[in-house]
Amino acid sequence: MRRRLGRIFGVLLIVVMLFSLTACSKSNDVSNGEDKEKKVIKLFHRFPDEPFNSFIEKIVAEYEADHPDIDIVVSSAQNQPYKEKIKVVVGSKDCPDVFFSWSGEFSERFLREGLIMDLTESFNNDQEWKNSLLESQVNEYRSGDILYGIPFRLDAKMMFYNIDIFKENNLEIPKTWDKFIEVCEALEAKDITPISYGNQDQWPSSHYIGSLNQMLVDNDTRLKDLEPATGEFTDPNYLKALEYYQQLIPYFNDSVNGLPHDMARNNFAQEKAAMFFAELVEITYLAEENPDLNYGMFSFPLIEGEGDPTLLTGSPEGFVVSANTKYPEESIEFLKYFTGPEVGKKEVQEVGWFNAGIGIVEGLEDQKLLEAYEVIKSAKTMSGWFDASLYSTIANEYLTSISDLTNGDITPEEVMEKIQKVAEEARNTSSTEVE
Amino acid sequence: MMKRKKLVPYYYIIPGLFMVLFFVYIPVICNFIYSFFHLSSYSSTKVFAGFDNYIKLFTNDTFPIMMKNNIMYAVISLIVQVGFGTVIALLLESKLTGRLRNVYRNIYFLPALISLTAVGLLFTFIYSPDVGLLNSALRAMGLENLTQSWLGNSKTAIYCIIAMSQWQFTGYITLLMVVAIQNIPRDYLEAAAIDGAGPFRRAVNIMIPLVKEQLLVCSIITIIGAFKLFTEVYSTTSGGPGNSSQVLGVYLYQNAFLHDKMGLAAATGVLIFIITVTISIIQIVVTKSGKV
Amino acid sequence: MLANESVQINNTKKNKILSVLLNIFFIILVISIFLPLIWLLINSLKSNNELFNNSLALPSKWLFSNYAEAWGKGLFSYFKNSLIVSSASLILIITISALLAYGLTRFHVKGGNIIFFIILGGMALSEQVALVPLYKMLQAMNLYNTYFAVILPYIAFRIPFTVFLMRAYFITIPKELEEAAYIDGYNSFQIFYKIIVPISKPVFASCAIVNLNFVWNEFLFANVFLESKEIMTIPIGLMTFQGDMKANYTVMLAGIVIASIPMILIFLSMQKQFIRGLTAGSVKG
Repeated sequence: MRRRLGRIFGVLLIVVMLFSLTACSKSNDVSNGEDKEKKVIKLFHRFPDEPFNSFIEKIVAEYEADHPDIDIVVSSAQNQPYKEKIKVVVGSKDCPDVFFSWSGEFSERFLREGLIMDLTESFNNDQEWKNSLLESQVNEYRSGDILYGIPFRLDAKMMFYNIDIFKENNLEIPKTWDKFIEVCEALEAKDITPISYGNQDQWPSSHYIGSLNQMLVDNDTRLKDLEPATGEFTDPNYLKALEYYQQLIPYFNDSVNGLPHDMARNNFAQEKAAMFFAELVEITYLAEENPDLNYGMFSFPLIEGEGDPTLLTGSPEGFVVSANTKYPEESIEFLKYFTGPEVGKKEVQEVGWFNAGIGIVEGLEDQKLLEAYEVIKSAKTMSGWFDASLYSTIANEYLTSISDLTNGDITPEEVMEKIQKVAEEARNTSSTEVE
Repeated sequence: MMKRKKLVPYYYIIPGLFMVLFFVYIPVICNFIYSFFHLSSYSSTKVFAGFDNYIKLFTNDTFPIMMKNNIMYAVISLIVQVGFGTVIALLLESKLTGRLRNVYRNIYFLPALISLTAVGLLFTFIYSPDVGLLNSALRAMGLENLTQSWLGNSKTAIYCIIAMSQWQFTGYITLLMVVAIQNIPRDYLEAAAIDGAGPFRRAVNIMIPLVKEQLLVCSIITIIGAFKLFTEVYSTTSGGPGNSSQVLGVYLYQNAFLHDKMGLAAATGVLIFIITVTISIIQIVVTKSGKV
Repeated sequence: MLANESVQINNTKKNKILSVLLNIFFIILVISIFLPLIWLLINSLKSNNELFNNSLALPSKWLFSNYAEAWGKGLFSYFKNSLIVSSASLILIITISALLAYGLTRFHVKGGNIIFFIILGGMALSEQVALVPLYKMLQAMNLYNTYFAVILPYIAFRIPFTVFLMRAYFITIPKELEEAAYIDGYNSFQIFYKIIVPISKPVFASCAIVNLNFVWNEFLFANVFLESKEIMTIPIGLMTFQGDMKANYTVMLAGIVIASIPMILIFLSMQKQFIRGLTAGSVKG
């Protein structure tokens, strides 16, 4: 009896443990246990902040109401964690069916591995779908002829400036780099911080460098270098871009590397600085932080170089469909709705974001947003976000080195040396991967 | 019959042993194997790499920075947490402190109860250049020229993180040492007092030798903690600016989950393993040989 | 004799001065511990703009709503998740470890020393070293991004330490107690349950608290093995308060306060067990 009890207990424990190992249910599926017939589509996005998260939840709920057979499970993560998490899940069985992904290299390596779906055919065969979206923006989600994603939020970087400060000091919008430096100089002389800049999270610097590279580096060379298999970064114009960046350092506020981007924006909103290099999606934040701020925006000052000055710094940000989804048709159908003009209209009214839908700004009254929309609509091609376009180790090297450069711990030559070295490693790895 | 009886104890042992083997030992062993491969989390490519990952780890520009930061963290923590923490413990137990000593001790211990992320976020904010406590206080005291971009400056970033840890964990070591001192048999101290030994001499000649084992343990956990360092750096600077505050733990994490270099991450893990296990073995050897 | 007395008087005088100086020193230390915490409390009750204007000033309006906002902004669900993960882990850590320690100490087990050595060896292995393979294993087992993804590793990594403490305690329990019970016809599990467990309550309490301090605050595993917001525990949940383009700093500070309160309360109410557990193990949570 005694022995048996002991044994039963032992066996029980082992059973419990094995059970917990193998048979446990996935927590995020628990909610769907009841209605097994529904098709579950997992959506993973990177907009957990309010009001965006609620907006997405609302749109999804509306879609579910119209499609009783579909159940969409939404999860989200913040920008930086999102980059880590999506790479972790994308190759696994847990891969979400529809998920956020930056255009360019960030998505293209998933495409290379066959992890995300080629949408070209579905898109081309659906004239209505094709005609409802801004072509120039959709094209940003193409690699060669292959369409792999649809924009959800259009975005570009512009120089925001404080109109009052400019007026008080008789300054004009600088069109060229030299004029830009003159403006900075004039502001500095008046003890006004010319440019508010916070680079604690390191990505903001990549937008400066990205814009400078576009102006200075020959476009074909630039595109070739973005490919990990061919990237060399030996063109001397990359170095030049860093030197231009260096020219700006005296005109930034102190402690650039110790300040997060949003605190820098707050300083601009509180009129503590005259200019701020910002994304169009930040217009709504500025309105919250200081509704009375009188500001405008202008394009990054022109530099005579070998690059293409018509490129607009920025990129649409959108969603892709997993190649391993159980419900490809349903997922595409949802993606079409989620990124289409119907949602787009609500999106711009409710959260101040545009998608690529045509006619979404009808009835919009906010002048700042309309101005921003014009900027994007008139752009022929976008350059992509520099950090998202680069292979991840090269992006990392760029970001860390630029933060050192900003602190004055390193020279532009040293930066380029490091980047060339990492680019070479990346070339070698991508060639072994091909094997 | 007899055989069955002999099995009984194993029923008690197996669940725990299984858990430890399966979730601790097997991963550690796998980690060794992984460190000789190029592997990625989202693709199935797994290429034998030989010592490539180790070569990459040791020849990396960041490697000396990381080692320096981990070692600086260990050294400063030894001096402040173990050294200063023990001095506080001795002073608290010196009988001169009065009844408040338990209150002091508990207050010093409080920060150790707050999660590392919470402390990290709090201190990121305290060090913040415009609104942070540190710069605001310096300005309020008229020490404008001492203000700094604490975490944004490559020269100060890692030391700011180290300082944060001292704030958090010195009281923890103090608590451990206080208990060790309280466990010293009363007779020893009384005998010493009758001999006319003053509080200082009592502390140095009697207390410290009697708590040296606890001191060793505290030193070991502090050193091991320094090489496992992760959350403190991840939640403040993530290794920046540049790579100036990079440490082994964050480097491992970033390679595994940001750059998808899981083999390189595994090699970093092996290095952490070798360092921490060596230190643990030193502890066992020293304690066993009774030379403490 | 006289000379001796005057020395003693001198000594008490000296001691008094020393005592005052010491207390001043201790109070300075108290201030240095409290200063950041008080600053945290004050700013957690301000509006963001007030904080940006002067972080040293008292709030003009005490915004207790920040706490409600932090709670509503996800902290509630992080709290719930932390409770689930912590309680499940603790129950299993204590049960499995107690059984293991019992099996090792109360029987003559063949290979017992080797098993004990293996278990203790686990204490020297750090979480980082297992991180990458564990992550791959959890994915292969379909456990990634479930509560089990953190509960199972927590259990495994805490067993060595807990067994170490319990074994030390069980060894001190006199054998006579069990022998009497055997004669009364108890089986080994009954002895464990009716004799060992009741006597060992203090060590269980210590183990529970020290492990709770670890599990409640654990970040590395939780950060890697939990993906969706719905099942995040508090330490990672707090990180999400740092918005992408916009952070509500004062709400984040309120979140830090809320997240820190449980452990502090538990410490203050169960000091004895807490301290015993910490010192017996001397392992930093």
